[in-house]
Parts: sequence; structure tokens; C-alpha cells
Amino acid sequence: MSKEYAILPCNGLDKCAGCTARELAIKLAEETESEIICPVFYRVADARYNKLANEKPLLVIDGCASRCASRLAAEKGLKIAKKINISEEAKNAGIVLKTDSLRLGETEKLLVENLADALVTEANAAEQTQEADFFPKQLSYDVYQKDKFIFRIPKEAAFFFNENDVWVYVSGGKARIGVTDYVQQSLSDIMFFTAPNVGSELSQFDEVGSLESGKAVFEIVSPVSGTITKVNEDLLNEPERINQNPYEQGWIAEIELEDFEEDKELLYDFNGYFPIMKRKVDEFHV
Amino acid sequence: MADTGIGAVRMQIGVISCSGEEILGGTLTRMATRKVMEELRPGQAISLCLPLFIAGGEEERNFARDYPVISVDACERNCAKKSIEKYSGQVREFIILTDFLERDVIFSKTVSMKELTKEHYRMADKIAEEICKKIDAIAAGQ
Repeated sequence: MSKEYAILPCNGLDKCAGCTARELAIKLAEETESEIICPVFYRVADARYNKLANEKPLLVIDGCASRCASRLAAEKGLKIAKKINISEEAKNAGIVLKTDSLRLGETEKLLVENLADALVTEANAAEQTQEADFFPKQLSYDVYQKDKFIFRIPKEAAFFFNENDVWVYVSGGKARIGVTDYVQQSLSDIMFFTAPNVGSELSQFDEVGSLESGKAVFEIVSPVSGTITKVNEDLLNEPERINQNPYEQGWIAEIELEDFEEDKELLYDFNGYFPIMKRKVDEFHV
Repeated sequence: MADTGIGAVRMQIGVISCSGEEILGGTLTRMATRKVMEELRPGQAISLCLPLFIAGGEEERNFARDYPVISVDACERNCAKKSIEKYSGQVREFIILTDFLERDVIFSKTVSMKELTKEHYRMADKIAEEICKKIDAIAAGQ
């Protein structure tokens, strides 16, 4: 589950549990980038929420045993990512919800706080796991050595390279890019990293930031087209991470791919790039 | 029928509010209905839960068939009024916030209870007054 939910609360005005469900939904929407599906309006107007319910993981919050929100999700054929029942959660926490008023008391507010904290923590952990799963924890390299200098190339099949010595790792519709060992060895100690803007759209071979060392400025040429979703901000203060390992801690940016199948036609895989890099190393005295 | 405790028997009247999450107006109808039920006309005003009503809640639907109902909608979508008409018959009276509150406020983003301002509570009080007028009018003609 990502940090963003589509939240379908019961929104009931019959019991305090329904009011608590509503408050939890709003709190989550305020603290994450989640959006709420109004259970009443959803029945009246499908189109307004169908896209949202299918795009984001669905969190269903029922108030009581009537489970109106779950029933609505079932009627609409929605896939539920997570389900919460306020009455059951209260029971598990040893809390007795009000029965004489719909107004939320301190106990109900505390329950909302605790449930919201747990959900946000869980969502963040899931996001980090998802993040870690996107890129391999360990890479295997093939190495070319010239004098004392070592040039590594990752052997994983999901790595591709352009002639400008920029790599891209592709997983689904997402990619991570960076420069190869040839670039960092050629530049020597990298002192400045100019990052691309998150959200900017780029075509294949557009500039996607630059690196500067005492020797030269290197313009990073994007191997793929798409939209920048993330930048390795650690590099802004520690550009030397690229010298340490340009494939792991020295990655440059992440991109939501536009059309990788088309981009791939102008890229090399490991077998294609390795001889190119060897030739460059042999011709260039680091 | 509920006993008022002063010798008279008052007619129970259902109040069903849109309570929508889409706009702030839904929250205001929710607050007003709660105030009428708990403070202004306790025992006489019976709130009907709209999500439960449209999900097939038999008790809610039967009540709406047997007793007069006032719908309280935030906007012209009239989710509450239309739902009653679809499943239980005509509403006796209806309220739409756009008739007497600023549209900008009604259509603004919904907020959690802790973000509600004094102005929001004042508006909810105004809506509650309107609901009470309808309740009293229905009761007077009973």
C-alpha cells in the first residue's frame, strides 16, 4: 500500500462509531495525500469516484456491524487493500464508544489519533519496502581494469546504457538513472551536482542535470523519456557519492517512463555497452 | 411516539442529512442534524443515517415510510431527498443550504472537527434553526 489511499468511510450519522469513522477518514486525508470517497455521492454518481477507487489502494472504514462501506465497495466491485472497523478497533483497544451522543469525546478522539498514526506509519513502511523492492539491494558487476583504475558495469538485465555513458535501470513503468564508472573516473573528484527538477518532463537525450569536477563539467544525457519523480538529494551535499559508487548510492534521479520500448531502440544492454566502454577507456588516459 | 414528559405526546419526525464528504456543506448538515436531535428537539427529531438508508437499512426505510421526514441537503444534488423518494416515498419538508448560505462556503473543502471555526458553528446553528421550524410546522399540523 502506498502513502496515498482512496478512503471509503461509512460516514454514518446513526452511531458514534460512524462519526468516528468520518473523523478518521478526514484526518488521514489531511495527513497523507489520500482522497475521500463520499459514500452517499458515490451511489448517485459512479464516474466521480470510479477512477479514484481503481487508481489508489482502497481503505474501507466501517463504523459498526452494518458495514455499509464494505457493502458499498462490494456492490461496486472494488478491490479492498485494507479494511478497518471502528467498533472492533475500539473493542480491541478496550475503549467503549459513546452510545448517548454522536459528539466525539476525548476517548473517541484518542482512538482516531491512534488509528491514524498506525495507518500512516504502516503506509510509510510499505512505501519504503516498495521503494527498496524497486531497485536491487545488491548488484553484480563485470569489471574492466586499466592500470590502477577499475571500471564496473552492472550485469543485471534491467540495466541499459546510452552512448553518453548514462545508465538506466527499468522496472515496470519506473526507471532510475545515473552515470557509469567511466564518467566518474574521467571526471575524478566530483564537486557539484546540478539536479533536474522533479515533475519536469523530458525526452530521450534531453539534459537531466550536470556534474562538475576540477577537470570538467559533464552534462547528463537522459537515456529515457518521461517525467522526473525523484532526485537523489543526498548528492546535493555529497556529490562524492557518485565517485564511491555511481550505480548504488550515487544514482541521479527516478523517472516515470513514457515509452521505454521506443527508447530502448537507442540504448545498449550490458553486452552492447561493455566493449564501447572498454574502447573509451583504452583511448582515454584517466 | 415519544412522551415529552409534560403530558403531551409529540410526533416523531425523521431528519436525514446528506452529511456528504465531498464538500463542507455536508459537514454543516451533519452538525445541524446532530444538534437538533441531541439538544433542540431531543426525542422528537430522529436522525436517519443516509449511508445506512441507501445501503438497505430496513429500520431506516420503514421509519421513513411511516413517519414524516425532513431532508437536509447541502447542494442541488439533493442526495438525501432523492434517496428518500427512491426508497420510502415523499419527504414532508426539505432544506437545501444553497437557499440561505453562501455557495463559496458550502462548496469549500470538508474539514475535521478540530478545524471547525466559530463561523462554521454559527452556520450549523442557523441550519438547525431552519430544521426546527420545519419540525414545529409539521408537528403543528399533526
